[in-house]
Amino acid sequence: MKIETNIFDFDEGIVLENGTKLSSFKLMVETYGELNESKSNGVLLCHAFSGNHHAAGKNADGLVGWWDQLVGPDKAIDTNKFFVVCCNNLGGCSGSSGPTEINPLSDEIYGKNFPQVSVEDWVNSQKMLSDRLGISKWHLVVGGSLGGMQALQWAISYPDFVNKAGILAAAAKSSTQNIAMNEVARESIRKDPNFCNGDYIKNNKRPKDGIKAARMLGHITYLSEKHMNLRFGRKYQEEGSKVSGNVDFEVENYLQYKGEKFSESFDANSYIIMTKAMDGYDIATDSKTLEKNMANIKASLLIIGFNSDWLYPPARGKEIQIAAINQNIKSSYIVLDGEQGHDSFLFHSEKYSKAIKNFIGS
Amino acid sequence: MAIEISKVIQDWVPRGSKIVDFGCGDGTLLKKLIDEKDVQGYGVEINDKKILSCIEKNVPVIKLDIDLGLHDFEFSGFDMSIMARSIQCLKNPNIALEKMLKLSKTCVVTLPNLGYWRCRINLAVGKMPVTPDLPSSWYETENIHLCTIRDFENLCEEQSITIKEKFFIGPKNKKGIMSSTNPNFFATEGVYLLEKK
Repeated sequence: MKIETNIFDFDEGIVLENGTKLSSFKLMVETYGELNESKSNGVLLCHAFSGNHHAAGKNADGLVGWWDQLVGPDKAIDTNKFFVVCCNNLGGCSGSSGPTEINPLSDEIYGKNFPQVSVEDWVNSQKMLSDRLGISKWHLVVGGSLGGMQALQWAISYPDFVNKAGILAAAAKSSTQNIAMNEVARESIRKDPNFCNGDYIKNNKRPKDGIKAARMLGHITYLSEKHMNLRFGRKYQEEGSKVSGNVDFEVENYLQYKGEKFSESFDANSYIIMTKAMDGYDIATDSKTLEKNMANIKASLLIIGFNSDWLYPPARGKEIQIAAINQNIKSSYIVLDGEQGHDSFLFHSEKYSKAIKNFIGS
Repeated sequence: MAIEISKVIQDWVPRGSKIVDFGCGDGTLLKKLIDEKDVQGYGVEINDKKILSCIEKNVPVIKLDIDLGLHDFEFSGFDMSIMARSIQCLKNPNIALEKMLKLSKTCVVTLPNLGYWRCRINLAVGKMPVTPDLPSSWYETENIHLCTIRDFENLCEEQSITIKEKFFIGPKNKKGIMSSTNPNFFATEGVYLLEKK
């Protein structure tokens, strides 16, 4: 599989939904496979809250991409046939313009001053990327969770530029409970003494503990009760492999380990920006609003929900489907069990991969 | 679905209309209607394997339990709803009929006939009917609300439903004089085009 990782500079800048302007910005982009002559085999992957441009294959650090189970040669999204593109979203912390990057206007790190971006802003910046790549119509725009919101927004914002949209474990708006969970996570970051009101980089500090606690909470919401039970049960962690002396159970060890690892790589301001963007997304104040917003969609949709997902449960996907039907949009909605809760969208299962493969090929 | 039935339904479906097929199976009928009659069609199905076949055929499909999901389409503006050989599997066929005619102007229902003579012979010798058209034993059948042609037409009458068209087929899915003249005795399946009075 041919993998390329590049930075794309957009010197023309972008006006964000909240009115602020980034005079210029950059996107970290990874591509897989090759664009055909007619430029009709483009597939855009939109990453979820903590994802990045590295979706498939192994990168230089040996890390496997977040959607490697479904993206690659002969996989559900076949890189032998499709030119697959994924970028780190604006406000992220993996090389695109965001809080950890230098503000070209001041030559200082953006830090807490990076503007709040939205799902719509991400889609607009991805549209600029597709223009740059010369792709006038994506064969498929697809994503899970917050990525699914982007796929839906693509079909709404750019109806003539999307052939198919895959909306996986997603919703047309964040629920009250989603916002509540995110706020607990943000609060733990803000209250970390090293957060320094968002200026931790300037002060040579890192609010690692806050990010860690936030991620530990996040992981609980990504998994299902059943999956946690099956995987960890009430098993005790073996003495030799404990990450700290405070740990008794395996599940504690798991959360500690995952939280710690995440806190080493993810930026606190990015965490706040990304979750705020997720919370802010709402194209469905009520069912009539959702229909109105979806009225211009021309793409065919595939909406997938997972029964074990309580963060964005299948009913949220069904709302999008019913609105699509009411607006005469070609749309399918399926529900799979998905052992891994909300995270199910990341993992291969026979039915899941087949659904996506059939949808792309149809 | 028998070719004869599929042809009759195709004739009844208005060109370019918006239709929903409850229990659409692998989407074969909808695919035909989309390709040949230019309909905006949606299937409703519960079986994952069949759903995946629909997606492969580019037939829009929704995974729903019909028993629970009929009320979801109240504002979808369907011209026609189709329920082929499924109504006898529902918990409340009478309510389902009512709802189908609320969510669409007309509806097509096909159902197996328990009054078919071979079923009657089975019952006459004291056994639950098992025929080529109703092959499952009583303990494993999904057909929990079987009825005769007469029963069904009586229900339509009671619910103020107009039978606009009807069509009957006999054994081996063939249309015959016998099944047309005395369907309650000779037809294995009835096909109806219904409308609210």
